[in-house]
Amino acid sequence: MIANNHEPHLWFITQEELRNWLESITDHATLIAPQNFDGIVLFKPTSDVNEIDWGNSRAAMSIKEAFFPPTEQLMVIKRRGAEVKVTEKLFKEKQVIFSARPCDARGMKVLDSVFITTEPEDSYYSKRRANTTLIGLTCQQMGATCFCTSMGGSPSNPDDMDIMLTAYNGGYLLQIVSEKGRELVTGVNLQPTTIAVEIEDEIGRAPTPQIGDWPPRFADDYWEELAERCLSCRICAYVCPTCRCFDVRDEALPNDDGWQQFERIRCWDSCTSEGYRRIAGGHNPRDTKAKRLKNRVFCKFYFYPQQYNPVACTGCGRCIDACPVNIDITELLQHLTEVVYANRA
Amino acid sequence: MPFEPKIVAYLCTWCSYTGADTAGIARLKSPANLRAIRVPCSGRVSPEIVLRTFDHGADGVLILGCHPGECHYDSGNHRAAKRIPILRALMGFAGLETERLRLDWVSASEGERFSHIVSEFTDTVRALGPVRWQVRGNPATAVQDDRSANPLWGAHQSSNSLIPADKLAEFADRNRKFTESIRLNASELLKSGRVHCVIGYETGTHARTRPAFIWDASEADRLVWNQECTHNLTLYLEDALNRKNQESERKPVVAVVVKACDERTIQVLLSENRFSREQIHLIGVACDGIYQVEGSQGNDENQEFALQQKCVDCEQRLPLSYDTLIGEAARQSLAEQSLVPGMGVDSLVEQMSQTTPQERMDFWLSQFDRCIRCYACRQACPLCYCPTCLFERDDSLWTGMGIEIDEKRTFHLGRAYHLAGRCIGCNECERVCPMSIPISLINHKLAQEMKNYFNYEAGLAIQPSPLVTILGGEERLP
Repeated sequence: MIANNHEPHLWFITQEELRNWLESITDHATLIAPQNFDGIVLFKPTSDVNEIDWGNSRAAMSIKEAFFPPTEQLMVIKRRGAEVKVTEKLFKEKQVIFSARPCDARGMKVLDSVFITTEPEDSYYSKRRANTTLIGLTCQQMGATCFCTSMGGSPSNPDDMDIMLTAYNGGYLLQIVSEKGRELVTGVNLQPTTIAVEIEDEIGRAPTPQIGDWPPRFADDYWEELAERCLSCRICAYVCPTCRCFDVRDEALPNDDGWQQFERIRCWDSCTSEGYRRIAGGHNPRDTKAKRLKNRVFCKFYFYPQQYNPVACTGCGRCIDACPVNIDITELLQHLTEVVYANRA
Repeated sequence: MPFEPKIVAYLCTWCSYTGADTAGIARLKSPANLRAIRVPCSGRVSPEIVLRTFDHGADGVLILGCHPGECHYDSGNHRAAKRIPILRALMGFAGLETERLRLDWVSASEGERFSHIVSEFTDTVRALGPVRWQVRGNPATAVQDDRSANPLWGAHQSSNSLIPADKLAEFADRNRKFTESIRLNASELLKSGRVHCVIGYETGTHARTRPAFIWDASEADRLVWNQECTHNLTLYLEDALNRKNQESERKPVVAVVVKACDERTIQVLLSENRFSREQIHLIGVACDGIYQVEGSQGNDENQEFALQQKCVDCEQRLPLSYDTLIGEAARQSLAEQSLVPGMGVDSLVEQMSQTTPQERMDFWLSQFDRCIRCYACRQACPLCYCPTCLFERDDSLWTGMGIEIDEKRTFHLGRAYHLAGRCIGCNECERVCPMSIPISLINHKLAQEMKNYFNYEAGLAIQPSPLVTILGGEERLP
């Protein structure tokens, strides 16, 4: 039992107890955990602890979905004659995410700056954020395409979690990071410990140009070359833990007892798609693949940091894995860094 | 209360709608289940309309037009006779009982026939029970998690056609030779000025192979050939042609490295007049089959190589047409070389067609459930070249903007229909899918249907295309 504020912050929990604990969580909250669907690991709600994928591999999609769903109903609008009723659909449940990785948790901080810290607050996002507890898991090993350490993160960084777990000796070391985390472990059988596990951070996978070095690169021919093979699909944006663009539209629902019904929904959108920047009258200022690809990269490393700081990339490497034509953000950053140095010399 | 189906009937205004009137005047009894929608012609009932009708909860859709030869617009009903059977096969493959969609003919004077068809159809649909199609607000159609009883799970992933180690060594040797020849060829083509650009493959990061665009002979050494040259590069032809168009007075020519399957795409693109044959130079490669290309998350050095499913059945080693050929002429198919024990796409589709609609419905819902609507499948398809996709319109006309199961399924089925008689089976849509949805099974199903129904195969010659919309007397009329 955790009694006061002076107890150690590191504990040990056995695999068995962890399973029991997660099971007890499903009684009062939605448990979202990585599960294997036909070979694809995804974070999805589950009520069965046996469904959880305990492997070390990074899920195909980030935890962003739990806070910023692909489709979210914002409100339902009903009309009968001159009468209009509007019902806002705010998130009220509790959710707990298990096995969140440091890169994804850091991604949520990036979204917080946009949706919560900056006025006006996005109540749809912030309600979900406030009602969610993150149980993090240290990555045992950086994957082939991971580069979190180049983006200021680390496979074992607990900062953005509520609770952090690190696999150790058949069980897990458990670190309580926030008050929310403390609440969640109340009543769980934990043994205090002082063991520390070192996770090897591989550094220097992706050198990144400084913020001031970006504007001169806007006119480079490189973007045209890079985008020649780009498909202009949305994979990179949708798997990204920090991409947050959306579109809002009203769509009709079936009539309800004489009332006309509509819903206002917001759905993921991406600056990599052709129609994204099209404006009334049909003009499209970002009408080529190169301009769109460049915008996405500039957004991560120049536009976003200018407004919010730090960069809007957490080095999770998903876009590298998922891109069907091998557009590799670390290769891109490497290239730009070389150009920057060459220009200085 | 017994189940009463909701039936939507699209009635041609000239024949069938008048036929319904005739039935009414003669006081013939017809079931009250029918919601009649008057249309100018049965040819006006596009597959998207039918999909939308089922998406909105219809238990059955009846399309009635004029008898063959009696169309007010000459051939509208012949168009319906071409489209609807293919749509029926498609929706059936996705898990709809095909009896729920019927196309028939009723003339203005045939009140009795109208009444008979409507009664018969209503009885059929009533016997089938409530439809399992629309997911939203319909608990009976929810995505099922229990896969134990369904024979389809696992089946579509079972074709582990591993390549034996001695073959790998043989391939490696041939790849080196092919790479040399491609570089030499590209370099000559660019130096002589015969082409402006060569689209081929290069080695990217994490040892992946990716498309490369060579505009200068000095860059030709970037090009490679190996068993991971999966991309269908014909996708990039139009962009490259247009890019050169803007800069040069001369008519641009672009060379592209093609496998046998990629070349079939060229036949379809030429059929649809996307560019002329003189504008392209085909560097054909004798293909030994392409490996399944995975993401590089696992650091697996002892990776085993397996053939892509499309390659298992493929009998065509050489492109049908080419301007330059890399590699020797006739080679045996992989099956003949007894290289590959796995199951190909065709046999998988066959196996799926044997299951019950319910099993197929559960299977596809669970697959489409993962879709994130990133449109990578569409973007990677050389034949999806519409300037604005029907399913991405601002007005939500054919499907909503939601990234939810109904919308996702409509997108995938609609896209598959638009590729009927056009898709040549390169399976890039499936390869690029970040959610591993076996989309290509649907395309292969429709290719089989086109072959069975119209004796038509896409990509084997320059021929009128798309077959489902042109009229050449292929339709079978009852």
